[in-house]
Amino acid sequence: MPSNQVELLQGTLDLLILKTLALAPLHGLGISQRLEQVTRGTFQVKPGSLFPALHRMEERDWLASFWGESENNRRAKFYELTRTGRRRLELETERWKQISIAVARTLEANS
Amino acid sequence: MKWLSLGSSFFRNLFRRKQAEQSLDDEVSSYVELLVAEKMKRGLTEQEARRDARLEMGGSSQIKEEVRNIRVGAWLFTFLQDIRHGLRLLRNQPLFTLAAVLIFSIGIGANTTIFSMVNGLLMRPVPVPGSERLTYLIQKRDRWRNGFSYPDFEEVRRQAGEAFSDVAALRIFQMDGLSVNGKSQPIWTEYVTSNFFSMLEVRPAMGSLIPSSQNLKSKDPVMVVSYSYWKNHLGGDPNIVGQKATLNGTLVTIIGVTPEGFTGLTPILETQGYLPLGMYASTQPQQNKDDLSDPRGDGVLVFARLQDGITLGKSQSVLAVIAHRLAAENPATKKDLMIRAASLGSGMLSPDGSNSLLAASILFFVLSGLLLLLASANVANLLLVRAIGRNREMAVRSALGARRFRLVRQVLAETLLLGLLGCAGGAVLGSVGSSIISRVPLQSDIPMVLDFHFDWRVFSFAVGAGVFLTLVSGLVPALRAARVNLNDALRESSRSYSSHRQRFRTFLVVAQVGGSLMLLIVAGLFVRSLHNVQNLDLGFDPGHVINFGVDPHTAGYDDVRGREFYRELLERVRALPGVESASLAATIPMGPEDLGAELKIEGYQEAPGQPKPAADMNLVSSSYFQTMHIPVVHGRHIQDTDTETSQRVAIISEAMAQTYWPGRDPIGRTFTRSGDPGHTWQVVGIVKNIRKGLLMTPVSPALYVPMAQDYRSRQTLQVRTSAISSEAITQIIGLVHSMDATVPVFDVRTMTQALDSPDGFLLFRLAAAMASSMGLLGLVLAVVGVYGVISYSAAQRTHEIGIRIALGARPGQVLKTILRQGVMIVLCGLAFGILAAIAIAKLVGSFLVDVSAVDPVTYVGVSALLASIALLASFIPAWRATRVDPMLALRCE
Repeated sequence: MPSNQVELLQGTLDLLILKTLALAPLHGLGISQRLEQVTRGTFQVKPGSLFPALHRMEERDWLASFWGESENNRRAKFYELTRTGRRRLELETERWKQISIAVARTLEANS
Repeated sequence: MKWLSLGSSFFRNLFRRKQAEQSLDDEVSSYVELLVAEKMKRGLTEQEARRDARLEMGGSSQIKEEVRNIRVGAWLFTFLQDIRHGLRLLRNQPLFTLAAVLIFSIGIGANTTIFSMVNGLLMRPVPVPGSERLTYLIQKRDRWRNGFSYPDFEEVRRQAGEAFSDVAALRIFQMDGLSVNGKSQPIWTEYVTSNFFSMLEVRPAMGSLIPSSQNLKSKDPVMVVSYSYWKNHLGGDPNIVGQKATLNGTLVTIIGVTPEGFTGLTPILETQGYLPLGMYASTQPQQNKDDLSDPRGDGVLVFARLQDGITLGKSQSVLAVIAHRLAAENPATKKDLMIRAASLGSGMLSPDGSNSLLAASILFFVLSGLLLLLASANVANLLLVRAIGRNREMAVRSALGARRFRLVRQVLAETLLLGLLGCAGGAVLGSVGSSIISRVPLQSDIPMVLDFHFDWRVFSFAVGAGVFLTLVSGLVPALRAARVNLNDALRESSRSYSSHRQRFRTFLVVAQVGGSLMLLIVAGLFVRSLHNVQNLDLGFDPGHVINFGVDPHTAGYDDVRGREFYRELLERVRALPGVESASLAATIPMGPEDLGAELKIEGYQEAPGQPKPAADMNLVSSSYFQTMHIPVVHGRHIQDTDTETSQRVAIISEAMAQTYWPGRDPIGRTFTRSGDPGHTWQVVGIVKNIRKGLLMTPVSPALYVPMAQDYRSRQTLQVRTSAISSEAITQIIGLVHSMDATVPVFDVRTMTQALDSPDGFLLFRLAAAMASSMGLLGLVLAVVGVYGVISYSAAQRTHEIGIRIALGARPGQVLKTILRQGVMIVLCGLAFGILAAIAIAKLVGSFLVDVSAVDPVTYVGVSALLASIALLASFIPAWRATRVDPMLALRCE
């Protein structure tokens, strides 16, 4: 896999996770189910990419975590946005919009 | 803020690892539990749900490894982990560790030794402030030289202010006699312009230095002594400043001591005292008072300090303008004059670029660098062998989520540990080696600084060599080890033997054999050359001759009293029991000094373009040829009747007779010397040629004139005794001192010892010893390599050999199969080594006497030696392979 593709996917995953957590704190499985639900199955985030992404964002202080109870009373690690995380979300959203507009224009121009 | 949080994560990760690990475990397992619960809610049984969940998860240990890699400071943990793991492995394989560390140490030690020499001789800067801005000037008239005439120096100093903040000059290094409180001893001095110390910005350790004055050739009767001379020869006298003393009989006042560690600007030589340049005329004997005002002289060395902001390159153009101007003003004598500045930072090299010190350094650097490569090939081989045994370990680790990069790093970390241990060992070996070399007796009383101690440069070099070794020897094995095929490796099959890997190892061993052959050939050439040097027909008999350096002028004797002193000395020495013959000579073979004379020979005209006739000259007393056992073939000896007032006479060597009077009888013919046109010298005898120096060139023409007719105060008293004993030596020194206790006696050596000087055999002996030790080390490495490869491949083929023997193969056939590989390795290695040796033949050739750099005897002999040792090394494992019990060999699979 060429590295620029990894880079893009990774950045996108971060954005999606941030967005998902903007409403309420969620645990890992919650995040991946929510993503699958919202994107109608387009994105299925495997634990192999989810965990590293969560931990990376936590180390960067975008997310904070705490242990809590899941909806069916099981112990689970929850993640929530920090203040830095929210700012990051705005920034990333803005950037994503620019990119998608630019890509859309390019595609139209060429058609 | 961001850095703060990164920092806190870093410390959490670093110090609360256990908690972090536990939390990660919990998180992953709670994820699984939630997933299972989710699936069970959808109606699966618990068993099905767990199975599905596990499939969805993938490998949980891989996930954890991924997360660990993401953590801040992950590289540090993994590095520490690698190191810990490496240490454990090395401890578990003490033999392997010992071998690898030893090989590393040898490679690094040899290189560090050579480097510490190069550092001490060529790289260590002069210990003065801003030494990188110090330069020395060289000029080209007929050829490049260091020496300038004093008037030229003054011109340069006056005109070069644009580029240089100051320009100073000195008269180089010579021996004077210093007498303090009635005790007199030799002192090696330089006569400097009065701005010398202010240009260097040197501060005195005590008192003051030569004072700056308008008059550069100040005649103040003062002198400065060096710190080590003050400590070692003046007893560290605290009241030395202001002390009255006599230098060569002239009254001077010692006004100060130079700082510790300052040994002057000339490399290697240690200057012990400094006097004002203007003092030169009053302290030196008549015949040395040549040429300070002579515009054609070359008696002073010129040093200059660059202005701030002026580069060396910029200063060259300023000097070029000055040279051009001087040439234009003196078209007769200074046509095409060129002047350049060279940085003093890296020592003073001879200006024509033919610096043998530099060439020798390069040669030995090449050789020791080769040894380093051999060492790294050897370690690489060891690592490769070990890597084969670790295939399974690597496979398991990569199955558990270790990335390939991680495995490479792991193996490199282990090699790095070996490299560090090797560095330590190498530094120890290197300091031993360099201290051995700096203690080599130089057979001369000339004070020298052979300081090869370890400074930061040597240490960084050793560390650099270690890192180089680590990378070179570790990288390929590391990449190989990490390239594991899980399926192959995990399948139980130790017989799956990679021929590719074996091929690389074979290549390494071929390179080792070749490299060590090259080292051995060079060693062989040096040894043969040394042998030739030591068996050279010198033309005189050094046995039973003792030399004593004497110089009455340094005790204040003028020429008349000096001649009288020597006349009486010879008389009394010849009367001693056991003395067969005694005589005086201005220079001795292989000695530090040489005299030459440019000649005008009656009836001889040099061919156009050829140099003017010239000869080595020696000034000798009567009996000189008897003392040295130089046969007179024609005419007569020098006699006591040859005096100041009689006809000037000369004895010439056969080489001189053949050069300047070919086919004619030279006896009775005359010549004049360029420096002394007033006297005509008449040839009265012919002697056999002798070797006086420069062993690498043909014998040059030589002439001998009576000391009485050309008096020099510095002489070597040469005494042929029936037996050399320390009593005889003490007796003769005592005799000189009984005549005058203030006359110094120095450079007391037997003639055999004197031949072992830096100008004589010493360098040949050193070079042969150094090349031989490198050759032997290389040989050991090569033999270990050959043995290792053959015994490994024999072990790999145990199974195959077992089958062959079981099927009826005779031991001889088995032996042949195994040996064939050894023979191939050795043959390829030999070819490679011979080519490599021929490639550096030119560099080696300039150091050899009477032996060609492609000497077939050496090449064949050394190749045969190496081949037989290497074949023996491969024969042992091959022979062992033939003793394999087929049943055992087959069963052990």
